[in-house]
Amino acid sequence: MASGDSADVVVVGTGVVGCLIAEQALDAGLSVLMLEAGPRVERWRIVENYRNLPPSIRLFHWDAPYPPKPWAPHLETRREKESEQYLQLEGPNARAYLQGYVRYAGGATWHWAGICWRLTPEDMRLKSLYGVGRDWPFGHDVIEPYYTRAEYALGVCGPSDPAQQWPPNVKRSKPYPMGPTPFGAGEHRLTEVAAKIGLMNIHAPQARNSGVSYDGRPPCCGNNNCFPVCPIAAKYDAATALPKIEAKGGRILANAVVHRIETGEKKTVEAVHHFDPDKGSHRVTAKIFVIACNGIETPKLLLFSKDDRNPNGIANSSDQVGRNMMDQPKLITDIEMAEPLWTGVGPVQSSSIMNTTQGEFRSNHAGALFRMENFARSPLGAAAALKKGLVGKALDKEIRRLSACTARLTIEHEPLPSPDNRLTLSSKKDWLGINKPNIYYDVGEYVRRSAREYTVPLLHKLAEGLGATSFQLSPEFLNSDHIMGGCIMGTDPKTSVVDPDCRAHDHHNLFLPGGGAMPSGTASNSTLTMTALALKAADAIVDQLRHG
Amino acid sequence: MCRDGRRICALLLLFAGSLVACASRAVEQPNSPAENATIERGRYLAIAADCAACHTAPGGKPFAGGLPISTPLGTIYSTNISPSTEFGIGRYSEGEFARALRGGIRRDGAHLYPAMPYTSYAKFTDDDTHALYLYFTKGVQAVDARGPETALPFPMNIRLSMLAWNLLFLDAHVFAPDPKQSAEWNRGAYLAEGAAHCSTCHTPRGFLMQEEASRALSGAQVGPWFAPNITSDAESGIGSWSKDELGAFLRSGRLPGKAQAAGSMGEAVEHSFQHLTAADIDAIATYVRSVPAIGMPTGASRFAAGKISTGLAALRGRDGISNDDTNPGGAELFQGNCASCHSAGGEGSKDGYYPSLFHNSATGAKDPTNLIAAILYGVDRAVSGKQAFMPGFGGHPTDSNQLSDRNIAVLGTYVLTHYGSGDTSITESQVSEARRGGPSSLLLPLARWGLAAAAVVIVLGIVFLMFRRHKHSA
Amino acid sequence: MDERKQRAPISPGVTERPKPSRYRDDCPTAFSLDRRELLLGGLSLVGGLAVVPALPAIAAAAAWSQESAARFMEISSLLIPHRLHEDVGKRIGAAMSGFNPSLSEQVAGLLAIAKNKNARIVEDFFPDVPEGPLKETALAIISAWYLGVVSDAPDAEVFAYEYTLMYGPTKDVMTIPSYAVSGPNGWTSDAPPLDSMPEF
Repeated sequence: MASGDSADVVVVGTGVVGCLIAEQALDAGLSVLMLEAGPRVERWRIVENYRNLPPSIRLFHWDAPYPPKPWAPHLETRREKESEQYLQLEGPNARAYLQGYVRYAGGATWHWAGICWRLTPEDMRLKSLYGVGRDWPFGHDVIEPYYTRAEYALGVCGPSDPAQQWPPNVKRSKPYPMGPTPFGAGEHRLTEVAAKIGLMNIHAPQARNSGVSYDGRPPCCGNNNCFPVCPIAAKYDAATALPKIEAKGGRILANAVVHRIETGEKKTVEAVHHFDPDKGSHRVTAKIFVIACNGIETPKLLLFSKDDRNPNGIANSSDQVGRNMMDQPKLITDIEMAEPLWTGVGPVQSSSIMNTTQGEFRSNHAGALFRMENFARSPLGAAAALKKGLVGKALDKEIRRLSACTARLTIEHEPLPSPDNRLTLSSKKDWLGINKPNIYYDVGEYVRRSAREYTVPLLHKLAEGLGATSFQLSPEFLNSDHIMGGCIMGTDPKTSVVDPDCRAHDHHNLFLPGGGAMPSGTASNSTLTMTALALKAADAIVDQLRHG
Repeated sequence: MCRDGRRICALLLLFAGSLVACASRAVEQPNSPAENATIERGRYLAIAADCAACHTAPGGKPFAGGLPISTPLGTIYSTNISPSTEFGIGRYSEGEFARALRGGIRRDGAHLYPAMPYTSYAKFTDDDTHALYLYFTKGVQAVDARGPETALPFPMNIRLSMLAWNLLFLDAHVFAPDPKQSAEWNRGAYLAEGAAHCSTCHTPRGFLMQEEASRALSGAQVGPWFAPNITSDAESGIGSWSKDELGAFLRSGRLPGKAQAAGSMGEAVEHSFQHLTAADIDAIATYVRSVPAIGMPTGASRFAAGKISTGLAALRGRDGISNDDTNPGGAELFQGNCASCHSAGGEGSKDGYYPSLFHNSATGAKDPTNLIAAILYGVDRAVSGKQAFMPGFGGHPTDSNQLSDRNIAVLGTYVLTHYGSGDTSITESQVSEARRGGPSSLLLPLARWGLAAAAVVIVLGIVFLMFRRHKHSA
Repeated sequence: MDERKQRAPISPGVTERPKPSRYRDDCPTAFSLDRRELLLGGLSLVGGLAVVPALPAIAAAAAWSQESAARFMEISSLLIPHRLHEDVGKRIGAAMSGFNPSLSEQVAGLLAIAKNKNARIVEDFFPDVPEGPLKETALAIISAWYLGVVSDAPDAEVFAYEYTLMYGPTKDVMTIPSYAVSGPNGWTSDAPPLDSMPEF
């Protein structure tokens, strides 16, 4: 049984990765203690927070309904003073690393879209096939069963139609647990228009209950609020795993900020130390430690915990901790069209164009995913119509027209890992005295060339096909909130931080699973891959504790 | 060949043929068409009686038992009634089967607890009992698995005590049609009082857990739920429903603007009522609507209460943005937990899938039991392959959104005030009792105290007698 | 720190360089020039209303009587041809009067214009409203009812979300986010014609 001081497995971070590992360990009969930096907040509070936001903040500021506790800061878009900002960002594409994760129990899946793409076999062999980036240390056939387990663990709905499968032509060991959600009018129209220029807009697999309940959670009712929060938990978020973990005997300690990983002789991790809200520190021991705080917080903690034995940071003999920071650099365009597209029906995202992510061109420039955003555009239409000074019937008519006849299209490019895209410790400190994370980010020519020669011209074509009368491209690359690369995986301890099971090369009983381990970012949403890696790490942890 | 030879050959052939026929019969024993028809009738009756509701555990093999049934006196596990010879009823003769079904006595002579509604099944005719026997022995796959044993706390584990109970309370008569009533009514009475065993939930029980026949179908507690008054009383019962409405409710589990089935009734609709023939549903409806009206002094009908309402004008924006979820008010809890599906004003979704919370018996009843149970345990009912689902908010420790007793009491009171009967409030202890599975019975502690008292009296008596003898001999 | 201001060009070939849209993913106000524009009231969201932080509620309540609230509802109904919630109106009126001490007089002025034209709907009298504070106030009142806020500040108090009118013109298709559109998978790709208008 886990006590306040010790357990077989201590998991730092209660996001989807930490929770899945905790569940697997508990099922194997191990004791588990989870440490979460932030608070545990009930869903209704977050839903009401969202509804209490002013309209200018309610959209796009996905962290706004999650006011952080002083000891667990995260990105706060309502905070005006620069000095109070948490993420310290620099470099030509600093704006593209403005990551909106949530330091609450449940983590960033509170406000994810729920999209669950699998990598393609080619995505895992960029170096061998295209001479860029890194290869994964194992093939698609190794991760495929973990993808299946992940899909059943989260409850992913997806198409069974062979023409809609992604990756195409790769055999699935099991079908999706639930069928896809229906398209609204906008998605239907986009699919038709995109097909005319060879772009296949397909149903996105989503961790969303489709038509039926799953795991005691209700099916999606189309309340179009997946981000910032699913009011009814039809979308999987790790907060729904917490009662299940406790029901299995796991212990969860909220408001416990881990600030130090303590190592001993022979490179074992002996303990982690965490603060309580009164800044008192507590020491927790375990046989196996899992640091699953996300791709920024985990490398930050590893660097911050440096000691005499590990002067460059824990698990950092390779000097790769905090390097290779990746995300999908995003471009968006807001278009106005002659005909309605209609959004706001069903989930906020339930399709994407994926065939643009693959091809020989990847030796030259990035592939990218395209999609339309399906959040209701009515508040945007209303604000724009009001600005025109209209009143009465004319106002209502213009609100309806602008809501229906405008759209946002998104491109998410694949990044390459670069050692210069790096997280280090800022000289600025947070409320607890822990250094804030500082990240330098440059999307690189691989992405810029893609935008110039490939994605932006294609986006223009797509907009034309939709009858766009205006086209407003974002002037710079933006974040996609898929934090990857900071604890990169490989077989060579000189050039990677973790092995194929996300075990730190340097420390036999330390696991660093999650997006940080991914050797390639690709253009697709990273969560399902992170979840698969979590399950793979869990298998290794259970095996290690059973057999030494 | 001579004529005798041909006769002998023919006889030998016939003999050989019959041997082959016997052998194959011994191996396959195909049923005759008449038998198949009876087995099919038995299958239908088993659905009408909803045997699967108890004898098939969720995710378990059909009729293999093992479902835990919480009663005020402890947990009773359903038995394996598949034709397994070792773990089921494979060795039961038809007479033994009838005795168990209608008399509550197992093959080994032990008594069944009336969680098995043999008091209702006693009504089954011999013909129907025969059909059920054939179905369970020939129409069901044998499952060779032992289920968990029921072990009620002392002294309820003494099954022999059921003998006295049965003598007092079991009406062992097979159903006798009432010649003054129509065929439809009689069919309805046979099904409702027998197979469908409505009274086991809807009729209140006395102190010794016996059904109070004089108050038939006037409502009773079933674990954390309340099976409501379904007599013909216009206010307290379903007297305001038409026959078609009652039929529609039984078939689909839902009457928009009035009621929906949850808990055990939801299961009954899903596993039983939705599969009955239209004629049988009509018959049951005819019978139930004729049950004598029994009114409660509670006034207004539970189906017509409440109206659209929100606290939003005062609430919106007041609380701002916070990470503090302690001590919320009812309006906040309603908006944050319920309104997303049931709409901001409680009017339900446009397509009617999520019911309106006013004109809804769950909120309109004076007794808040069903509202509390719905919040705790939700609804999960599938009819014609379509699921009606509401998640529970803490009735199971694995529910995604766990609301405390305090929050459910505040939320429930808000819902009742705005959408329901108006002047009822819910206490924390009502919620915690529902979370524990409903009220427990005084019968168990009293029985134990009674026995203890009897034991003390006996001991004192012995001591007294010994004392007297000692005195005499001294 | 200066590096942040040097945004790398997407490509030399890209000619569109509009003002950075305020509707950007997690756009922190500290991050770009936008914030300064916001504070200077350059890009006002709400009709003609200036960007000012809310005055204390006490000052507002003191000046805003029952009478004022009734007249505010009266002019609101004339300006907006939809169902308006009285309690929301009380809150909006009181808050607006906190920003705008002349609100009562301006409401009276607008009512006078409307009466003069025997107006039943806004189109009857709006052309007669003179440019300047009166028109700005009229537009601000309309904005407040449609958006549920009276100021543009990121921490503005919200008076309505479900009752705002901005969702009205599309309520036959789009849901109000966080509220169910239908039962599970009950929505379709059918869309009514653009020129129809739901009742609200």
